[in-house]
Amino acid sequence: MKRTLIRISIIIILIFLGIFLYTIGKEHKVLIDNIDVTVNDTYYISDTNYNVWVNNQEIGLLEKGKRKVAMVVGKNHKIIVQEIKNNELIGEKYEKMFNLKSNENATINLPAMINSADIWIKKQADI
Amino acid sequence: MNKRSNLTKTMNPFEYFLINFAVPILITIIVIIAIPLSGLSWEFLIRELVIRLSRDSFLILALLIPIIAGMGMNFAIPLGAMAGQIGIIFITDWGIVGMPGLFLAVLISTPIAILLGYFAGIVLNRAKGREMVTGFMLAFFMNGIYQLVVLYGMGSVIPMKNSSILLSRGYGIRNAINLLGIRQVLDNLIAIDIGGILVPIATLLTIALVCLFIIFFRKTKLGQDIRSVGQDNEIARSLGINVEITRILSVSISTILACYGQIIFLQNIGSLATYNCHDFVGVFAVAALLVGGASVRKATISNVFIGVILFHTMFVVSPRAGKELLGQAQLGEYFRVFISYGVIAFSLALYAWRKRVEKENERKKTMAAKRSIVVNND
Repeated sequence: MKRTLIRISIIIILIFLGIFLYTIGKEHKVLIDNIDVTVNDTYYISDTNYNVWVNNQEIGLLEKGKRKVAMVVGKNHKIIVQEIKNNELIGEKYEKMFNLKSNENATINLPAMINSADIWIKKQADI
Repeated sequence: MNKRSNLTKTMNPFEYFLINFAVPILITIIVIIAIPLSGLSWEFLIRELVIRLSRDSFLILALLIPIIAGMGMNFAIPLGAMAGQIGIIFITDWGIVGMPGLFLAVLISTPIAILLGYFAGIVLNRAKGREMVTGFMLAFFMNGIYQLVVLYGMGSVIPMKNSSILLSRGYGIRNAINLLGIRQVLDNLIAIDIGGILVPIATLLTIALVCLFIIFFRKTKLGQDIRSVGQDNEIARSLGINVEITRILSVSISTILACYGQIIFLQNIGSLATYNCHDFVGVFAVAALLVGGASVRKATISNVFIGVILFHTMFVVSPRAGKELLGQAQLGEYFRVFISYGVIAFSLALYAWRKRVEKENERKKTMAAKRSIVVNND
């Protein structure tokens, strides 16, 4: 009886370990848009270029009207954005945290994010 | 128990050394001739050796336990390799990357390896005395089942999310899968640059852990049971050891280690040739172990590392040496396969010859003893 219980416990621990590894190792696609957007009847304009970092890794220059892709791993992430003009970083840094479930990808809109719009990130289920 | 057999007791030490280490001596001579012919630099050779040592040693270590159990060379290790590949396919489909991906592949493939090892153990128990050829055939048989599952089952019966790894028809896995997500994650986990050569410390530590496990395992009750079964089945049975279960366990452990070895191999390579990556796993691993001085009855950890160094040095230098010598680099490729099978055939023939001579010597001794008893009675 005791041996059976130990074996069942080991199997349950391994299942939870598998779920944990799946969650922390899952790769997500994050699309970062520097384009005009309307959120709750408010129109946000993309009028400048930004330098983007995701999880302290530099994604690079994102020009107005363009999109870049960042691949992130795990659940919790951080995006940092700073305006760039003539190859120089100017202005303040905008930082936001976001988390993604195991089956989610995301699209972030920079003008909405910088202006602290309600919906600056859209999450889609992984098909 | 005498360390040296009847055959070698009467020989001088030099003859004993030559017979016992015929294969490594032959390969060493080939390597010594081929290295200057190839024109490769020592730095390149050492770098390649370090990579191959870290990539291939684990798979060869998986062969040791069945040898201790008296089951000869486990040609059925491709079963473990296939289990590892199935784990890798699943984590690639789910998009799990990095070390978590590697561990998840290990977690998924372990029950598959246990099942396949158990099945292999049952089959090999019904083929006592013919384990090696049975294992060889078993690997071919399981290859067919693996290909059926991967080519037709995945994407149809087994749901797969990632269409980039599926064939254009919608089911079946592609011939080659990119493993960028787990490429060299273990190798780069702890890596040290020594004189321009990146040494994968984490992988080498993993291999060291397996060596310690094998050393420790030999001292456990199960390890001692396996040794007893390897020495004599009937005596082990009379001691109360369940010979059949012990043999199944030894093959299962070997299959599980082969599964992990294949995962380590694939993370180093960074891509998976879905349908033929596991084809030569058994042959090359066995050949490397034999090149290292092991025999069908006896193999040690040092045989593994000597074998990897010699066998893979030959692998690296033979295409270039073949090109310099005969103008064809492709010859080197054929030469590798020829040497692999040749080494196995030569070792098995040598082993069979030694057994026959020992039997003959025993028979002569028994006859001489009987004659002397008759004379004394007269």
